[in-house]
Amino acid sequence: MSTRETILEVENLKTKFFTEEGVVRAVDGVSFDVRQGEIVGLVGESGAGKSVAVQSIMRLVEEPGAVVGGEVRFKDRLLFGLEDETAGGEGAERRERDEMLTDEEMRQDIRGREIAIIFQDPMESLNPVYTVGSQIEEFIELNRDVTGEEAREIAIETLRDVGIPEVEARYDDYPNQFSGGMRQRVLIAMALACEPSLIIADEPTTALDVTVEAQILDLVDDLQDRYDTSFVWVTHDMGVVAEVCDRVNVMYLGEVVEQATANDLFHETKHPYTRSLLDSLPRPDRTVEELDPIEGVMPEAINPPSGCRFHTRCPEAREVCAAVEPDARQSADGADDHRVACFIDDAFDVGYEESLPIESETGGGFEASLTSGEGESR
Amino acid sequence: MGLLRYTVRRLLQAIPVMIGIVTITFFLSNAVPGDPVDVMLGPSPAQRQEAAIRAKFGLDKPLWLRYINYLGDVSPIWLSTVDSFPYVAPEYGIDFGRSINYGTPVSRKIKERLPVTLLLMGSAFTFALVTAVPLGVISAHRRNQPTDHVSRIVALIGVSTPSFWIGLQLIIIFAFELSLLPSNSLVMPWNLPPPAAEAGLLSVEFWGIVAAHQVTVVKHLILPTITLGTLQMAAITRIERSAMLEQLSQEYVRLARAYGVSDSKILRKHAFRPAQLPVITIVGLNLTTAFGGAVLTETVFEINGMGRLILQGVLTIDYPLIMGTTVVFGVMFVIGVILTDISYAYIDPRVSYGDQEA
Repeated sequence: MSTRETILEVENLKTKFFTEEGVVRAVDGVSFDVRQGEIVGLVGESGAGKSVAVQSIMRLVEEPGAVVGGEVRFKDRLLFGLEDETAGGEGAERRERDEMLTDEEMRQDIRGREIAIIFQDPMESLNPVYTVGSQIEEFIELNRDVTGEEAREIAIETLRDVGIPEVEARYDDYPNQFSGGMRQRVLIAMALACEPSLIIADEPTTALDVTVEAQILDLVDDLQDRYDTSFVWVTHDMGVVAEVCDRVNVMYLGEVVEQATANDLFHETKHPYTRSLLDSLPRPDRTVEELDPIEGVMPEAINPPSGCRFHTRCPEAREVCAAVEPDARQSADGADDHRVACFIDDAFDVGYEESLPIESETGGGFEASLTSGEGESR
Repeated sequence: MGLLRYTVRRLLQAIPVMIGIVTITFFLSNAVPGDPVDVMLGPSPAQRQEAAIRAKFGLDKPLWLRYINYLGDVSPIWLSTVDSFPYVAPEYGIDFGRSINYGTPVSRKIKERLPVTLLLMGSAFTFALVTAVPLGVISAHRRNQPTDHVSRIVALIGVSTPSFWIGLQLIIIFAFELSLLPSNSLVMPWNLPPPAAEAGLLSVEFWGIVAAHQVTVVKHLILPTITLGTLQMAAITRIERSAMLEQLSQEYVRLARAYGVSDSKILRKHAFRPAQLPVITIVGLNLTTAFGGAVLTETVFEINGMGRLILQGVLTIDYPLIMGTTVVFGVMFVIGVILTDISYAYIDPRVSYGDQEA
């Protein structure tokens, strides 16, 4: 797998939202890549910046948000990239690089044609006043060089592939005549039918019940084998990650905190946040009382905690964690390409072992940790 | 469950509504203070004369009997249950009686006046839609940019300016100061003298006269159209803008963008069609305000349409005339609502036709 060519490279991507309450650093220096035929997971709690990250890749972030830094490369083309930072520093306006695709090129060459997206909400993602068939057909005609007649055939064929029964009869039905699961299949068919190299699936199964979810995941696995498409799979569900992903990026508050193959991530978990996510996963062999949810809520990205952003909720946090910000590094004792942003790992030499645990943690109580969390985030 | 069945059902449902309109109109107009006979005869009428007139118009009969008679007369299907009034001479099937003031059958009056008002309203709504829809769409597309601000201000002024005032200003500017357009006496195309018979159907002359007629009509229509249409235009612009804005933030519009659909196609297709639902609602409901506007506009421009007829009826307490015109307005409104519902079902497949869907 690792020998295959990299098609998407995201480097230090930064997206900010300029709101009245302040600047929200929704995506703050995210880097990852996707190789041909691979399913890469983007995992994290709600608000971690996963969706914004994938929208930034396609340059679909809308006002008041904007991609403000980093580089996105797809195959040989620069989807986003700014001139090198000048002496003006952070505040200075940076020019887009000349080789960066124009909006028009982005629209014609990339969106749909090379990178397709599957949205989170199947109930809202289809236009209620047009037939399902005509909507797929339109996207196919736009993104593949085929005639209307051929587009219709491709649409019918793909809809059959994703498991829509009696496709011909349902082709001219409206979205409201489809169930949620069926609509999600339609959205997947849309993405597949355009034959892009990469499909971004933004929580495509979150709105579905688990049986339908399982069917869809099987389907994607199946189709991915057949079409050899790469996927970026955005989810907050570790179960889904285990099921479909080859490699995983765990995001917390706009940053990637751990990056590994799915196997390593589950068996050689390095980052306390990843472990917390795994611990909060319901399992048949444990009762609900034994569930170990992550304490507190994710702080706001307007004013993220100093140092390691997870330290306010981290069971392993020490004083150094609040002072120094860890970058994602190759783990000292992990497999190749297992990157982690946590001082616990030996790749870091900032004196974690000598540092004292953060006071509240010595108290150990839930209440204490809450108040400390508040104190630290100021 | 087709559109046809839906339409037929809506039409059947309209029957009780119509009976309601007739009933309410009848009792309301009879509750109006004043007496038409007093109005007719002046301050000191002779006893005998008054009685004769009352008898002539059936006003000597008790209210309930007059109501039942009226109901029978206006219904196209029923036969009168009670012997009709002496003055009744069914002329058009639907009989609104004879106008006390004009002395002619109300139906004839309406037949003469209704086309004028329909022409006026038709041209006002056409003007409103043709200007407001693009304005609203552009406004939404260029949200918070100068174009948007201008269109919003124009819409705000339009909504808040009384139409009779607009009418008077237009007359002052375009009729008196600039002498560009006529300020009164709208003529209907079919009321203009026909081209001389000897100027054959294929001659240049013939068509020249026809064209000249159309120009005359259009010239007369411009000012009243703007007067009546401005309020509608302003209201539709506002609705169009907000409906388009709502659509532009929909997930399916974002999806279309993510699949490389161009901005203009998103505006014209993906967002536009679903955005028209609230617009249609407003147009349908605004028919009522437009009827009111027609009264004012026709008065300002001295147009002999339904609006002036109804006004005349009220001023002379002409029961049959008031009732007849009100019922006709009622019918037009009901038709408007039905058309609204049908176009709803046509645009949005989620609007069920009332049958249980599989």
